[in-house]
Amino acid sequence: MAKEITIALAGNPNSGKTTVFNNLTGARQHVGNWPGVTVEKKEGSCSYNGYSIRVVDLPGVYSLTAYSPDEVIARNFILEEKPDVVVDIVDASNLERNLYLALQLLEMGAWVIVALNMMDEADSRNHRIDVAGLSHLLGTPVVPMVANRNRGTVELFDEIVKVAENKAQVKGLKVEYGREVEEEISKLEKLISQSELSSKYSPRWLAVKLLERDEEIIKKFREVEHG
Amino acid sequence: MNQPMPLAMVSPGGVVQVVDVRAGWGLQRRLADMGLTPGVTIRVMNSQRPGPIIVDLRGSRLVLGYGMTQRILVRKV
Repeated sequence: MAKEITIALAGNPNSGKTTVFNNLTGARQHVGNWPGVTVEKKEGSCSYNGYSIRVVDLPGVYSLTAYSPDEVIARNFILEEKPDVVVDIVDASNLERNLYLALQLLEMGAWVIVALNMMDEADSRNHRIDVAGLSHLLGTPVVPMVANRNRGTVELFDEIVKVAENKAQVKGLKVEYGREVEEEISKLEKLISQSELSSKYSPRWLAVKLLERDEEIIKKFREVEHG
Repeated sequence: MNQPMPLAMVSPGGVVQVVDVRAGWGLQRRLADMGLTPGVTIRVMNSQRPGPIIVDLRGSRLVLGYGMTQRILVRKV
């Protein structure tokens, strides 16, 4: 029987998520709506090397705060459905802004692959990207791609299967916030580890979100503590 | 001479450094998410009352409402 893998495509708006989605799924995608919100969600499926892969295209976001419905949808999908792999589609010609989302995904504890899209565009702007170095720094696989010419798709498939089979491949960079903030994070983490939320979400991530006064997370804590 | 001033006062073409965002937590956070953090250098591309104001920031463009740009303090570089 084919082994099933669920992957989510995340990324900034205009980073080429839908192009990658089409490359991965071919013509077999169908379009749906997330319940309750008017944001489009695309879902498709494909098979590769005996694996059956479910691909979910998330709304394009710059960040994973609780700021807009798109962000909440993208975040909740990753938090609640815990896809086997989150492919973060990054515009290689605009790394600085795009990598912010990559760090947020890693902080949530997602198994991230960075798809470095639009490599041709980066080349034409004379940006030289050290792919191996980036992969080492982020602690994730990094796959260079030119999605609109279907370059890098097979390499991405290979990485998806590798990570799904062995999640330890994604070590994930841990962002250090400096001594003062880290002290507060550890205090909160200790308290959070007594809450039932800690079995579902990374305690460190919850601690960071509480310090950011993230409304959704504060609400979650109120619900579990007061019923 | 190089006093901080609101971003709203910078003419198109001006290159400035962000000094402070005098806004509530929500807006500060949102702008930081978009890369607008203290210390970052930005270039004003278009500025006309009543806005919006377009800035070039970390290789991408950001469109800001006029009200927001009055709360973003910058310094000429």
